[in-house]
Amino acid sequence: MAEGNTVSTSGLGVRDVTISYGGDPVVRDVSLDIPDGELSVIIGPNGCGKSTLLKSLARVRKPDRGQVLLHGRDLWSYRGRQAARHVALLPQNPVAPDGITVRDLVRRGRYPHHTLLRQWSPGDDAAIEFALERTALHDLAHVRATELSGGQRQRAWVAMVLAQQTDLLLLDEPTTFLDIAHQYELLELCRELHGEGRTIVAVLHDLNQAARFASHLVVMREGRVVTQGPPAEVLTSELVADVYGLPCDIVPDPRTASPMVVPHDRR
Amino acid sequence: MTVVRIGRVIAVPVGRAGAVAAAAVVALVAVAAVATLSLGRLGIPVADLPQALFGGAEGKAAFVLGRLRGPRLVVGIGTGAALGLSGALFQTVTRNPLGSPDVIGVSAGAGAGAASAALFLPGLLPVPLGALAGAVLAMAVVYVSTGTGFQNPGRLIVAGIGVSAISVALTQYVVYAVERDKATVLMAYLNGSLSARSWDHAVTIWLVVLVCAPLVALLARRLDMTELGDELAAGLGAEPGPTRTAAVTLSVVLSAAAVAVAGPIAFIALTAPQIARRLTGGPGPHLLLSALVGTLLLVLADLAAQQLPLPGNLPVGVYTMAVGGLYLGYLLTREWRKGTL
Repeated sequence: MAEGNTVSTSGLGVRDVTISYGGDPVVRDVSLDIPDGELSVIIGPNGCGKSTLLKSLARVRKPDRGQVLLHGRDLWSYRGRQAARHVALLPQNPVAPDGITVRDLVRRGRYPHHTLLRQWSPGDDAAIEFALERTALHDLAHVRATELSGGQRQRAWVAMVLAQQTDLLLLDEPTTFLDIAHQYELLELCRELHGEGRTIVAVLHDLNQAARFASHLVVMREGRVVTQGPPAEVLTSELVADVYGLPCDIVPDPRTASPMVVPHDRR
Repeated sequence: MTVVRIGRVIAVPVGRAGAVAAAAVVALVAVAAVATLSLGRLGIPVADLPQALFGGAEGKAAFVLGRLRGPRLVVGIGTGAALGLSGALFQTVTRNPLGSPDVIGVSAGAGAGAASAALFLPGLLPVPLGALAGAVLAMAVVYVSTGTGFQNPGRLIVAGIGVSAISVALTQYVVYAVERDKATVLMAYLNGSLSARSWDHAVTIWLVVLVCAPLVALLARRLDMTELGDELAAGLGAEPGPTRTAAVTLSVVLSAAAVAVAGPIAFIALTAPQIARRLTGGPGPHLLLSALVGTLLLVLADLAAQQLPLPGNLPVGVYTMAVGGLYLGYLLTREWRKGTL
């Protein structure tokens, strides 16, 4: 089996993928390769199909047409657990089962590494410890997930997908419902993981956060990928006006010099 | 959490709280079983039980053990387990403590199926098969009429109430249509009764439980995963759709088998998984513990039905309905307050 098509891809990508929920397609003929070792951020207006595209990359939503490829093979030809050892998805609304502790929640991330009869694997303890350590949840391991604060709970979910030990980590709007401090805390964590060589794809709403943390920006509109590349090249006032219909200036972020969106007053 | 290992192939983590609770419930079932066999005028004294059970029983003891209480107890244990398991499966799939087979119309449908079989196809369609057909038909109607399958608990309950009402109406019609002596027998059956069970009933329910139990065990981990929400479960490779379908199928088969041998005994399937959940305090469907608690509840209720000095030899279903009704009220109020209904 060939390992990927070119040197720079992570081995995960879509070819001519179209997905609809009954009516008009929400993703139209999209082809996209996830670049290896990058923190890719997908942005776009509400309903542009970015979450749906992410779900198809994680073998959660099957495309109506086209293919999702993992290392040159159709993702749906993998068995569920086999695919889940390569790609992990943190969806928008995960449910914490009643009474579950943080450690047990993180342990569920080990499911893809188990079999029907062997529901424990030698790497479990190390992977769980690593995930708890990385997310600074070690002291809260025995606390019930329902008793955590919003920021802590989101970190627990990230710990769960970290324990999955995949090359690729997909995060669907991981900062929603968090206050601004916790949003940045979570994004910093993503950046650290990226710095350690992990490939991450996140769907984000906030353009300034996307520009600041992404190493690769993918812009979608009406089910199609409009453009992609480094944020400094991609995020222009023309693009924002075109994709979002929002007149704005792009100025350098005073802290990081990444592009920052300053909308025009409409009075 | 300890990992139980058998060779290199099998390794299963076992929670301590669950194991302790399971052992305690098994002990209580044993006590209730001994009481069932030895209490009352016809009971076999406890001192004579080992001799009667293992050394061969004679005379009165043989009659009580072989005909009167033995089959009843064995049917009760199997039926309670089937109901507890069925409820745990359904509640996990619907993520709702009210998503129990009797609340959403499995039992009523099975009752109507059994009654229809007795009236329209006497001798042709055995009553247990009629019960299974009724249960499956009722579930099919619920599945279609919610518009979202078994996904939305609120709709599921409303559809279930509707299907239950239609089923009960059909059952009532059958009871009025058949001759009076048959109707009395049918009525006792439709309340849920363990009296006058035979070894045939015992074989039926145990066969179904023993076939379903390993399948449920194989499904257990995937069910754990569906608790995390469909998208996360799918991302982890747990295939929530097929898992849900398999769980609902097993649940319907188990509760239909229970109805076939003992009539629609109310509320065991609803309460057993909830009690199991509170015994451990942890997450997960608690499948084994729910089965054990179901057994304990039914054996205790039948013990009460046999030994309480109430007139008219009330069938066990009346007891479970009285206790379970109170519990359902409590549960509804609590869910209402939590805003999860």
